[in-house]
Amino acid sequence: MINENDPSTLSTSGRLLSYNNAVKEGLKIGQQFTELMDQLINTKDPKELVAAAQTLSVFELDSDYVTFPHQYNNADYYLVFMSRLLELHDQGEAITLDSHEDNQHLTQQISALGDLGVFAFVSANDNTGGVYYQDKVTGETLFYLNLKRRMMRINSSAITKLFIETYADKLEKEHLLSATDLLIAFGQALKTDFGFDVDFNLLDTSNNEFYAFQTSNLSGEIVDKLFVAAASENYMLKHDKDGAVLELAPDLKLKIASHNATGGAAWGLYVSDEDQTVSWFKVLLEYPFLRKWYLENIDDLQIRSDNLVF
Amino acid sequence: MPNNNEETNQEVTPGQAQLDSSLTQKIKYLQTLQSALHEHDDRQIYELIDKPRYDREVKKSRSTTKTQNLADLVADDHEQLSHYLSENLIDYLGKTYPFFYYDEVRNGEFDIYFGNWWDRRKFGKLDVLNVAFEFDETEYGKLKRSFELDALNQRYNTDNIAEISANSAQLQKLIDGQDERDHQKETLRQQLKEVSQKSTLPWDSGKVKEERQTIVDQLSKLADDDEEAINANKKIKENDEKILSLSKEDTILTYEKQSIQQRFEDFSHFESHNQSLYTDYLTSLIGKGQVNVDD
Repeated sequence: MINENDPSTLSTSGRLLSYNNAVKEGLKIGQQFTELMDQLINTKDPKELVAAAQTLSVFELDSDYVTFPHQYNNADYYLVFMSRLLELHDQGEAITLDSHEDNQHLTQQISALGDLGVFAFVSANDNTGGVYYQDKVTGETLFYLNLKRRMMRINSSAITKLFIETYADKLEKEHLLSATDLLIAFGQALKTDFGFDVDFNLLDTSNNEFYAFQTSNLSGEIVDKLFVAAASENYMLKHDKDGAVLELAPDLKLKIASHNATGGAAWGLYVSDEDQTVSWFKVLLEYPFLRKWYLENIDDLQIRSDNLVF
Repeated sequence: MPNNNEETNQEVTPGQAQLDSSLTQKIKYLQTLQSALHEHDDRQIYELIDKPRYDREVKKSRSTTKTQNLADLVADDHEQLSHYLSENLIDYLGKTYPFFYYDEVRNGEFDIYFGNWWDRRKFGKLDVLNVAFEFDETEYGKLKRSFELDALNQRYNTDNIAEISANSAQLQKLIDGQDERDHQKETLRQQLKEVSQKSTLPWDSGKVKEERQTIVDQLSKLADDDEEAINANKKIKENDEKILSLSKEDTILTYEKQSIQQRFEDFSHFESHNQSLYTDYLTSLIGKGQVNVDD
């Protein structure tokens, strides 16, 4: 019996035919790959862009008979995707993509940060194609991205460590803000172009955003500290129905509340301003006494990130 | 059926006449009170529930004629009266004392809070029927003292905080001096060894013993310091907590002081205003009563 799947049963010409077919198959995969790369690099259509990135992020380029010695990491295609998406939203100059030919991988730099951060995606190993956007210098992961599940989650702890602590005395506030604005622009593009579910966390400027503290039981002592610190800067922390409120400017209020936006019991913050352009992050950059208070009590005050991915 | 005509024609004894007049007075009192209530004439209600005080402090009348104490008739309505009268009174107080806030803890019973800042103090109670503040003595005393200290450019807890801070600085020094002490101990132990190894000739023994004792004493002093240094961090943390609560109290007292200064300039003006509150309030009500009806 001739069994096409068992080469030992084939005649020589049958074997050659089978080999040739397998190579063709392998080349076809390669062909498909280059088409996807073309699409990823050149398309002007956000939908085609995300489709290419999604396919490439799980693409197996090698087959049994055809292997390619020079390959990028699957996670690298996310970097191309991110750069391209920002480019489509006129933010292409805010980042540079570097290709390292020696061991074939990509990294990204955020222009506003100068030489400080080198970013790349690393797999989250969660079997759904999730990746972390990580700074190679410090190992901090700024956000989680999952194209398949259409979600992005900003990591409050990494944002705090890098932008409020590590970079704070090395960079101008404007540069820090344009770097985080870039992350917001990326998330916003994912949201509007593809309907992603995006948690901007402490970068969120909406008045309804409840920045939940790590602790579910905020001690009065921590609020006392803020009360005293604020008073010495001529700000009065006022009594409020649901906690306390600090008027930082005529149109900027910081509220400490014991209920989240849906009325559930939890301790956290609201930042409200008429134009909804100020986030807790911006407040931290702007007001040293609040930054000091936040960092000194970070174990309790750290804004919670999605605990499913962080 | 009793014959009414016959009854009224019966002769009235002096006792009955007195009773009759007393009852009429009471009915009239209650009717007047009721119509004052209907007409929202708070001034008259105050006059009715404490006539002697009203005559003395508002009418400034010097006569001391004793009137029957009819106010007792509504003694068990005080809660409701207090609740009712509080509305206009608190409105009035809001203008004179904008920094006081009231919480009706039970019907007609009001706690006073000083200020709208974080952890503002409960400052006492509002006695609506007597138009008077009943300040918490401790809290009031602290505020009064802060005004006195203001002249010395000091806050209520300045000395206290300085003392605790000095203690913390001392403890920090003890922690920082660990290396130095370790070094000293090493040297002293070496000395002790040397002293012990010295030939103990009978005529030297007293001197050696003395030398030894000096070194041992020094070592034990250093050991005490070490011991204290071990607990120092905990102690410093406790001190920090104390300083925080004292600073918070100072901040609150400063806010209270500023509120009073903004409104009354100084504490004595504040106190005299409180003294004359009853007269001032009721005088302000004269002419205001029955407005709704006259309109």
